[in-house]
Amino acid sequence: MAETAVTGQLKQEATTPAEHELFVNMGPQHPSTHGVLRLMLTVDGERVLSLKPDVGYLHRCFEKIAERRSVPMVVPYCDRTDYLAAITSEWAYVMAAEKLMGVEVPERAEYIRVIVGEMQRIASHLLWFGTFALDLGATTAFLYSFRERETLFDIFQKLTGARMLYNYLRVGGVRNDLYDGFVEDMQRYLKLLEEKLIEYNNLLTGNRIFETRTKGVGVISKEDALAYGASGPVLRGSGVPHDLRKADPYSVYDRFEFGIPVGEHGDVYSRFVVRVQEFYESIKIIRQALKDLPGGPWQGDVPRRMKLVGDVYTRVESPRGEVGVYLVGDGSDQPYRCHYRSPCFVHLQLLEPMGVGHLIADMVAIIGSIDIVMGEVDR
Amino acid sequence: MTELLWGAWQGWGFGQSSFNVVMGLIKGLLVCVFLAVNALFLVYMERKVSGYIQGRLGPMRVGPKGLLQTAADALKLVTKEDIIPSGADVAVFILAPLVFFAAATAIWVVIPFGPQDIVQDLNIGLIYISAVTGLSVLAILMAGWSSNNKWSLLGAMRSAAQLVSYEIPLVLSLVAIGMMAGSLRLGDIVAAQQSGVTSWFVFPQILGFIVFFTAGLAEINRAPFDLPEAESELVAGYNTEYSGFRWAVFFLAEYANLVAFSALAATFFFGGPTGPFLPPFVWFLIKTYFFIFVAMWIRWTLPRIRVDHLMNLGWYVLIPLALINLGWTGLYVVLWG
Amino acid sequence: MFRSVRDFLSMIRTALVGMVITFRNMLQPSITIQYPDEQLDVPLGYRGIPVLLSDEEGNLKCVSCELCAKACPVNCIEIQSHRDNKTRKKVLDVYNLDSTWCMYCGLCVEACPFDALAMSDQFELASYDLPGLVYTRDQLAAIGRRAITPTSGIRETQNFGIKTGGAKR
Repeated sequence: MAETAVTGQLKQEATTPAEHELFVNMGPQHPSTHGVLRLMLTVDGERVLSLKPDVGYLHRCFEKIAERRSVPMVVPYCDRTDYLAAITSEWAYVMAAEKLMGVEVPERAEYIRVIVGEMQRIASHLLWFGTFALDLGATTAFLYSFRERETLFDIFQKLTGARMLYNYLRVGGVRNDLYDGFVEDMQRYLKLLEEKLIEYNNLLTGNRIFETRTKGVGVISKEDALAYGASGPVLRGSGVPHDLRKADPYSVYDRFEFGIPVGEHGDVYSRFVVRVQEFYESIKIIRQALKDLPGGPWQGDVPRRMKLVGDVYTRVESPRGEVGVYLVGDGSDQPYRCHYRSPCFVHLQLLEPMGVGHLIADMVAIIGSIDIVMGEVDR
Repeated sequence: MTELLWGAWQGWGFGQSSFNVVMGLIKGLLVCVFLAVNALFLVYMERKVSGYIQGRLGPMRVGPKGLLQTAADALKLVTKEDIIPSGADVAVFILAPLVFFAAATAIWVVIPFGPQDIVQDLNIGLIYISAVTGLSVLAILMAGWSSNNKWSLLGAMRSAAQLVSYEIPLVLSLVAIGMMAGSLRLGDIVAAQQSGVTSWFVFPQILGFIVFFTAGLAEINRAPFDLPEAESELVAGYNTEYSGFRWAVFFLAEYANLVAFSALAATFFFGGPTGPFLPPFVWFLIKTYFFIFVAMWIRWTLPRIRVDHLMNLGWYVLIPLALINLGWTGLYVVLWG
Repeated sequence: MFRSVRDFLSMIRTALVGMVITFRNMLQPSITIQYPDEQLDVPLGYRGIPVLLSDEEGNLKCVSCELCAKACPVNCIEIQSHRDNKTRKKVLDVYNLDSTWCMYCGLCVEACPFDALAMSDQFELASYDLPGLVYTRDQLAAIGRRAITPTSGIRETQNFGIKTGGAKR
C-alpha cells in the first residue's frame, strides 16, 4: 500500500515506543476485530498505553456509487453498508428519497417496515450477543445465538427471498406483502426467542467470570458520550435515554408502547444489559405491530419518472445507533450528493477514551461492546 | 509378564542392567503409543462433545461418523509445509515443541495404569510430578520467544506468570495427598484407596480436590484458563507462528497433558485404577475419561477469565485454600489417620 | 476481582448453572443439516440466479428490450440482439449474466415488462473457472424451462406469481 501523508505520520507516531513499551498491531487480521479494523496499540506488558484505530480497509465508495445510480438501484448497495442490519440502512435511504419525491407510504407498508426493522434489530443483536461471547471466549453462547438467528433468517428468507441482504424496502412501500402464515411464524418465533433469552442469560449474563470481565471496563461518561456524538446502545449505556424511535419518531413508531433501556455506569456491562433489554422491547413492538396490522396496499403510488428535488436528512435508529442519510437532489432520478452517517464510525473514536489503561483482553471486550461493523465504518 | 521376559532374557545370556534398559524402552514405547492413540481419539471426542453441546454434529464426513477425521487432520498436518519465520531463533524454535512433548510424556513415568502397572514407581512420585509439570512453562517460553512474534511473546509471558502461580496451590494440594497416604509413591497412594468408595481421598480432601482441579486446569492451559493461547485476544498465543508438524506436536502434547491431568485427578482423589468387577486398566480409563469429559464440558461452557483476575484467583484464593486444606489434613491424619 | 473465596465460590456456582444448560442442550437433537446429502427446502420467492423463461412452445419470452440490463445496478447483464426481417421481432442472440457481479437483488425481474425473467432457486453456482461463472442465454433458458415442464427429480423453479410491488408498470 502506498504510504500517504496521514498513514506515514501515524506510523511515525506509533512506531517510536519508549524502552519498556511494545508496539503491537491488533488487526487487520486479528480474530476479534470484527473484520478489518486495525488498532495500533502501544502496550506496557499487557496494559494499553495508547491506541489509534486505522480504518478504510473495506472502503467501497458507497456515497459515490449512490450518486451515479437511480434511487431503486441504490437500495441493494444500502444493504451492503451495514450488512448485519440491512433493513435499517435501506430504511434511512428510502425515507430520504420518499421525502425528496413527496411520496406517501401506505399504512400497511409502514407497519411491515416496523416489523422487519425490529426483526432486523433482533437478528443483529443476536449476532452481537454471539460474537461478544466469542470475544470473551464463550464459544457455545455464540453458536446458540446463531442458531436462533438462523431461525429468524428462515422467516426473512420466506418474506424477502434473501437471508441477509434483503433489498426489501422500496420507495413508497415494500417489495412484497407478508406471506400467508407470517404472523403465526413470527409469534411462534418470538415465543421461542423469549425462552432462549432466559437460557442465554443464565449461561452468560449471570456468569461470574463474564461479570468480572465486563463490569467497570471501558467506562465512558454521559458527558463524553454526548460530546463524542455517540448514539444507540452506546449512548444509552452511559445513561442518556435517547432513542430516535422516541426522540424523533419516524414511520409509525409513535403508535407503539415500548421502553428505552438505559444503563447506569457506561461500562461494557451496561451496554451489554441495554442490548439484552432491547430484545424484549423489540419483541414488544413486533407483537403490537402484528396485532394492529392494517390491510390495504403495501406499495404507494410512485411517479414513473422519479425526481429528487431539494435536500433532506433522515435518520433511523439502527441496532448500532443513528444511521442517517443526507440526500441532495437536482431534479434527476440520481441524487446529486448522498452522505451516509455511520454510527460505528463515530463510536470508533470512543475506543481511545474507553480503552487506554486497560488490558489487551479488555480491548477485545470493548470492541465487542460497541458492536462494530467494519462494512459500515468504511462504507 | 515381566518375569516371563526376564526368564527369556536370562536364557539368552544377558544381564540385569541390559534387561532394565530394554524394558524401559518397551514401556516408554507403550506409553507413547497410548498417548498418541488417546490424543487422536481426544481430538475427535473434543469435536464431538463441543458439537453436541452446541447443537451440532461435529465431524461427520471422513469415515463413519467422522471417525477418521483426526487421521485425515494428522495426515494434512504432516504433509504441510514446515514454515520457520525468517526472524526466528531457529534452534530454539525447533527445540520448543520437543521440550513441550517431553515434559508432557515425562509425567507418565509415575502414573499407575493398574495397582502394579507403573512404568517406574518412584518413591518420590509426587515431587517428580510437581517438578515435571513445571517443565512445560520452559517450552512455552522458548516457543514464544523464538517465534519473534509479539503475540507469541505476550502469550508466553502470560503462560509463565500463570504456570508459576498455579504450581504452588497444585503442589500444596499434592502435599496433602502425600500426608493422607503417608507416602510420596503413587503406588502407595492407590493402595491407600483400595478398600472401596469410602476410602477415596476425595471425601476428606474435597477442598483439596477443588484446588487441585482448578489449578490443574490452569496448569494445562484448558479453558477457562486458556490464556496463553487465547484465540480472541492473542491470535493463537505462543503457537501463532507454528505450522504443520511442529504445531501438531504442541497439539498432541496438550492432549497428553489433559489425559495426564485427568489421570492424576482420578489417581489422587478417586482411587485410580481400583474398582470392582472390571480390570484395573478399564477402571483407570473410565475415571480418566470422566475427568476429560468434565474438562471439555467446562471448556465449552465458560468464558475466558482475564489475566489479572487469574493471578488474583491463584494468589488470593487458591493458595490460602490450599494452606487451609493442608492444616485440615494434618488434623485429619492426627485424629483419624 | 477474584480476591475472595466468595468470588471463587460464586464462580463455581454460576459455572455449574451454565454447565447444566450446556448439558441439557447436549441431549437435544442437533440442528445440523448435512448439506449435500440433505437439503433444506428453498422457500417460495427465494432469490437465486435470474433465469430466462420460455412459453409453452419452448420459445424465449424475452423481447430484447434491455430494460433488465438498464435496471441492473452492477451492469452484470450483457444483451445482443438482431431484428428478424420476416417477423419484424427482435431475436435474442446473446444474454450473458455474470454471476460474479450479480448481487441477486431481483431488480431485473421487477423491471421486466413481459415476465420473461424470474429469480430461480438455483444457488449452487460454484465453478472451477471464471468463464464458468458467466451464464449464457442457453444455460439460463435451460434452468428456466424446468419450471414450465416440471420433470421428476428436479426441483421446480418456484418463483412465479410473486407479486412484486416495485415502482414499475
